[in-house]
Amino acid sequence: MQLTIITDLNKCVGCKSCQVSCKEHNTSGAFGPVPDHTPYQDPDGMWWNRILTMESGEYPNTSVLYLPKACMHCYDAPCVPVCPTGASFKREDNGVVLVDYDSCIGCQLCMWACPYGVREFDEEAGVVKKCTLCIDRIEDETLPEHERQPACVQSCPTHARTFGDLDDPNSEVSRLVAERQGFGLLPELGARPSVHYLPRRPAPSPLDTETLETAMEERY
Amino acid sequence: MRPATPLLVLTIGQGLAGGIIVCLAALMWMGRLTGPEAIVPVLAALGTAAVGGMGSFFHMHNLKAARYVMRRLKTSWLSREALTTAIFGAFLAVLTVWTLFDGAGVSSVGYQTLLVVTAATGVLAMWVTAMLYATIPAVLSWHTPLTVLNLMLVGITSGVAVTAGWVSAVPSLWIGFAILLALTAAVKLLHWTHFLRAHGQIRAETGTGLPFSPYRLQDTGTTKPPYRTQTQVWPLLQPALLRTVKLWTVGWLFVIPLAAVVVWQTGAWGGARWVLPVGAMLGVIAERWLFFADATHSSRVFFVDEPRRAPQVPMTGARKSM
Repeated sequence: MQLTIITDLNKCVGCKSCQVSCKEHNTSGAFGPVPDHTPYQDPDGMWWNRILTMESGEYPNTSVLYLPKACMHCYDAPCVPVCPTGASFKREDNGVVLVDYDSCIGCQLCMWACPYGVREFDEEAGVVKKCTLCIDRIEDETLPEHERQPACVQSCPTHARTFGDLDDPNSEVSRLVAERQGFGLLPELGARPSVHYLPRRPAPSPLDTETLETAMEERY
Repeated sequence: MRPATPLLVLTIGQGLAGGIIVCLAALMWMGRLTGPEAIVPVLAALGTAAVGGMGSFFHMHNLKAARYVMRRLKTSWLSREALTTAIFGAFLAVLTVWTLFDGAGVSSVGYQTLLVVTAATGVLAMWVTAMLYATIPAVLSWHTPLTVLNLMLVGITSGVAVTAGWVSAVPSLWIGFAILLALTAAVKLLHWTHFLRAHGQIRAETGTGLPFSPYRLQDTGTTKPPYRTQTQVWPLLQPALLRTVKLWTVGWLFVIPLAAVVVWQTGAWGGARWVLPVGAMLGVIAERWLFFADATHSSRVFFVDEPRRAPQVPMTGARKSM
C-alpha cells in the first residue's frame, strides 16, 4: 500500500486553504507545533505544505500555475537511508514517510537529500519536521470514515486534491494518474515520488461508454 | 547550500588532520622524519581533529538522540563518518602520546606501524566524509566523483602545507609539493566547472511540470531568504562575490604556497616557511565556504527564477539581402 495525494492543477486556484489547514491541524495535533518565530511581523515560519505561484511564458502568452508542494512520500525516499539514527523512516504498511522526533539529532542531512525542499528544520526543538500525511487523522478510528483523510484534502474548496492508495489499481488516485497522465516532480533524481499532479490540459471526455455508444448511434 | 560553521570546521579540521598525518607517514617512508620535528605537526593534527570533532558534535541540535548516531551504518554515510572519525581520533590520540613521550622512537617499528595505521584511518575518514557529500543526488553540484577527489586532495594539500612550517624536509621536496598542488588545482577547477553545469541543470519542465519557459516565481509559498526553516537553500551568490572568493582560494591555496616553498627552498627568505601554513589555512577556509555556499540543490527550482538563456542557434545581426 502506498498512500498518496493527487492534485489536479486544473482545479487548484491557489487559495492556500490546504496550506493553512495543514498548519492549523498539525499545530493543534499530535505532531505540533509547526513553529513561527515572529508570526505577527513575518509569516516566514514553518509550513509543511507550501503553495508556489509561478508565471510562465512571455507576454501576451503567459500562464499562472499554482503548485501545492509538500512531502512526496517517495517510493525510494532519499531522506530515509541517509539518516544516521533511523529517525526518518518509511512505514511498510502504508508507505508514509515519517520522522521520529525522539531519535532525530537535527543534523539536517535528510533536508539535503530531499530533492523537493519539503523538510523543515525546527530550531527550537532541534529536529526536522515534515508532512505526515496527517497520519494521526487517517488512522484515527474514532473519526467517521469520510473524515479519515489529510487536512489539506478535506479543506480544498475545489476538490483539487484526492487521497488514496496508489498501489491499488482500482483506487481513484490510480485511475486519475493513469487516465490523466499524472506526473511526479523531478523524476530525473530517481526518488519516485508517490505524490502526483494532473497536468493542466484539456480533460478527456467525461462520457462513459454507454453514453458514448448512444451518441455514436444517434449520429451515425 | 547554507555554509554552516560546524560543517566548515568539521571538514576543514578533519582534512587538515588527515593531511598532516599522511604527510608525516610519507616523510617517514622516505626516511626524512625526525622525532622532535614530528611533535608540533602531530599536536596540530590532534588539535584540528579535536576542533573538527567538536564541530560535528555541535552540528547535532538534539543531543539527547546522539546515542543513536551509529544505528544506520548499513546505509548512512553520516553513521559511517561518526565511526571512522572516532577511530581516526583514537589512533591519533595514541600517536600523539607516543610522539610526545618517546620522540626519539620515531624509527621504531611500533611507532612506524602506528603512524601508517593512523594515516590509513585518516584517509578512510576523509573518504567517508567525501562520500557523504558525493552521494546526495539532490545536491547537483556535489553528486560527482570529483567531490571525493576534491575533498581528499584539498585535505592532503593543506595538511602538507601546514606540516611544512615545522618539518624542514618538505621544502626540499618542493617538486613533489608542486605536483600535488597542480593536481589539486586541476581537480578544483574541474569541480568548479561541474558547479557551473549544476546551475544549469535546474529544470522548470520537470520541477514544476510547466511545459514552456521561462518561468518566474511570484510567490515561493510563504518563505524567503535566509530560509530559516529550509537550510538546504541559500541565496544565489552575486557574481562579483563568487569571483572574489574563487580568486582568494586560488591565490592562497595554490599560488602563494607554491611561491613560498620555492622561495624557501632557494634560501632567499626564511620566513617563507610560515607563509605555507597561513596561506593554506586562508585558502582552505575560502574553498570550503564556496563548496557549500555555491552548491546547487535541486529544490532551488522552487525558490529562484529561471535564468534567461540566450538562443543556442547562430544568429545574424540583420536580415541578409537576397
